[in-house]
Amino acid sequence: MPLVNNKVGDDCTDEALADGKALVDSLIKVVACYRHLASCVGGCTDSLQLREELRQTREKAQMLSVAICSHLTSHLRNKRLPEGQRKEMELLWVAFSSSLELLHGDMCKVFNVAEIFSLANTDSLVQTGLQGGGSEVAARALSLPDLNRAQSPTLPAGLESQERSTMEQEIGQIEHMIDDMEMKVNVMRWMVEPHGPQYTDPLSSTDSASLALLSVDEEQPGRQPLCQRSQIFVLLLMFAVVLVAATLSVCVVFFS
Amino acid sequence: MTIRNTLRDHGQRYRPRMACLKKAEKLLLEMQDPKTGVKSQPQRLVITTIPHAITGEDIIAWLADRFQVDTQEARNFVSMLVALGYIYPLQDHRRLVIKPDASLYRFQTPYFWPTQQWPVEDTDYAIYLAKRNIRKRGILELHEQEHYNRLHKWMNHKWDFVVMQAKEQYRAAKERKKPDRVVFECQERAYWVVHRPPPGTVSAMDYGLDRLTDPNADEVTGLLCCSFKHYTPLTRSLCFLCSRRLVKYCSTYKSHDPFLSNCLPSNPWLTDDATYWSLNMPSVEIPTKMRVERWTFSFAELLSDPRGRDDFRLFLKKEFSGENLAFWEGCEDLKWGEAATMREKAEHIYKTFLARGAPRWINIDGKTMEVTVKGLKHPHRYVLDPAQTHIYMLMKKDSYGRYQKSPVFKDTVKKAICPEEHRYSDAQLQQNAKKRRPSLSPIILRQMEQEQRAKMAANVDITQVMSKLSKQGKEAPPPFLAPPLRNKHKRVMFRDFYRRI
Repeated sequence: MPLVNNKVGDDCTDEALADGKALVDSLIKVVACYRHLASCVGGCTDSLQLREELRQTREKAQMLSVAICSHLTSHLRNKRLPEGQRKEMELLWVAFSSSLELLHGDMCKVFNVAEIFSLANTDSLVQTGLQGGGSEVAARALSLPDLNRAQSPTLPAGLESQERSTMEQEIGQIEHMIDDMEMKVNVMRWMVEPHGPQYTDPLSSTDSASLALLSVDEEQPGRQPLCQRSQIFVLLLMFAVVLVAATLSVCVVFFS
Repeated sequence: MTIRNTLRDHGQRYRPRMACLKKAEKLLLEMQDPKTGVKSQPQRLVITTIPHAITGEDIIAWLADRFQVDTQEARNFVSMLVALGYIYPLQDHRRLVIKPDASLYRFQTPYFWPTQQWPVEDTDYAIYLAKRNIRKRGILELHEQEHYNRLHKWMNHKWDFVVMQAKEQYRAAKERKKPDRVVFECQERAYWVVHRPPPGTVSAMDYGLDRLTDPNADEVTGLLCCSFKHYTPLTRSLCFLCSRRLVKYCSTYKSHDPFLSNCLPSNPWLTDDATYWSLNMPSVEIPTKMRVERWTFSFAELLSDPRGRDDFRLFLKKEFSGENLAFWEGCEDLKWGEAATMREKAEHIYKTFLARGAPRWINIDGKTMEVTVKGLKHPHRYVLDPAQTHIYMLMKKDSYGRYQKSPVFKDTVKKAICPEEHRYSDAQLQQNAKKRRPSLSPIILRQMEQEQRAKMAANVDITQVMSKLSKQGKEAPPPFLAPPLRNKHKRVMFRDFYRRI
């Protein structure tokens, strides 16, 4: 490990930059998926499988972080790095450190929630309204087409406490990595300029189905009968107007 | 870069109100029990059904039963839970209130409970807003837009990350089944309504100060009690005196405290009706009964209340001893005023109150006068303190007692109003909340105060001055005209003295 840290990177090529970008992108993806999985902990879909998926996602995230850390550190400590490349690297660095922060926060939350909710007592799991598990999200995180659902039906006695101590260790590792990063490389965040605009283009304009569901959510049940009543009223009014117009026209024809 | 390490907190900063939140969480776990908890029903949407929806009336009934309290109390409790974000409404999501009818609510997932992270991270909020913006352009409300712009400016360096994370979270959400996606969106939306409330709403998530001791830790009992034995008799008697004073203070002010007893007509913070404040303005014509009662508690209370001071001033005017109060006010002005005008103020006070032959001469004993006059050679803020204290004690011992028996005070007491208590219904409270307006700006209030003070200074009662001077047997002319010859040498002396200051 010390040898790797002291080694300063070779002349940075675009390839290294592209590598770094790919790694950071995948870390961001894994962190996003981890957040979705973490939001299910303690809820009615909390299960051993979910915890297993969380663990796997966490491991993948840590693997990626270690790789990115060494990659970026070695390149940023290279004093002969050209200015343009350095700016790009710093941008990646900021993205990496922010992802690590998010991951750390989510891991702490999962740790806290797991302390309150034990899987042995499923009666007290919060009824959040979720129905499915997070398998698809975990599959996306781990870049696997499908997760094989190998689920242990029984809960071994010491598994939860073992898992908790593992989590504590991992959280400590992430903190250590964050501290280490700050010590080794000094990136001045106010000098970093992002590429993207303030408002990005929407990803898809056709996905308004969930929006529609949500907006239906909004309608107060008390308003429904009123709407119907007003609609009927309008219809009646129109009908009456049409009737009057018809009689008038008949009269006109009759008397002229 | 701020990292909130919940593990490495070292126990040095305890979040306020965490203790009560942990108790609320225990209660929520009880509510989940499928047998003894709140009964849930499925929520029917257009194309799908989502389980675990609970009605407002069910929750209130369950709580009333659990704690054996009446419905109103249970309702207040549940509205607190909703305001803290443990239960969120499915309809009308922006208003975090509990409706005691068939409106639907759902439990918030533990990930979004307030104890997990308080205060919330701005990065998370930025990602949430970016996600909503990505889903549909222009969906952000006005205050959200403002937040978005502000965060973009402040977190500019990580904006690429924010947008990328938002996109990834959006894509990950699409992997989930449709009902779960809706539930997650509702959960997140409710979370942010609690922690970043729309303007004009009252938030329950005021952070407050960090506490030094952990309210959840074991109490350190016995430490104080056992060391009490070791106190000296003097310390012990002082302790008793202090506690007696405290008890006396509490019993006197108990009915005037807005937390312990009802504000009349109603507490503006609770009912959004500002009548209480307009009835208790500093310079109101007719004060309220409670206010007048407070003036009888102590002289300091009377003087600190502007309306009380006005009343006292009126009484003193009738007694022809208004110069005491005027001098006291002048000293206060000197003590708390600007340093630039201090010198002029000190001179003015000397000329008006202390010098021999002054138009409003105050009666202080020789020693104090000597000390004050000597100090005025090099005036500073506290140069008139001895004289002020003397006059204060004089007023307190003498005039205050007579004031309380005077017809002026009795008249004020008779005229004082006691407003009726407001009884607002829910609909009226909502109306009041909508009609909330900001009160007068403090700048305007200060200007009004200054104008009033200037008017008072200009209106120094000449007749009073003249009568006072005649009482003293001097035939000094009014200050505006030229003095007669026989007082010339006095003026010369005064001028010399004035030069020496």
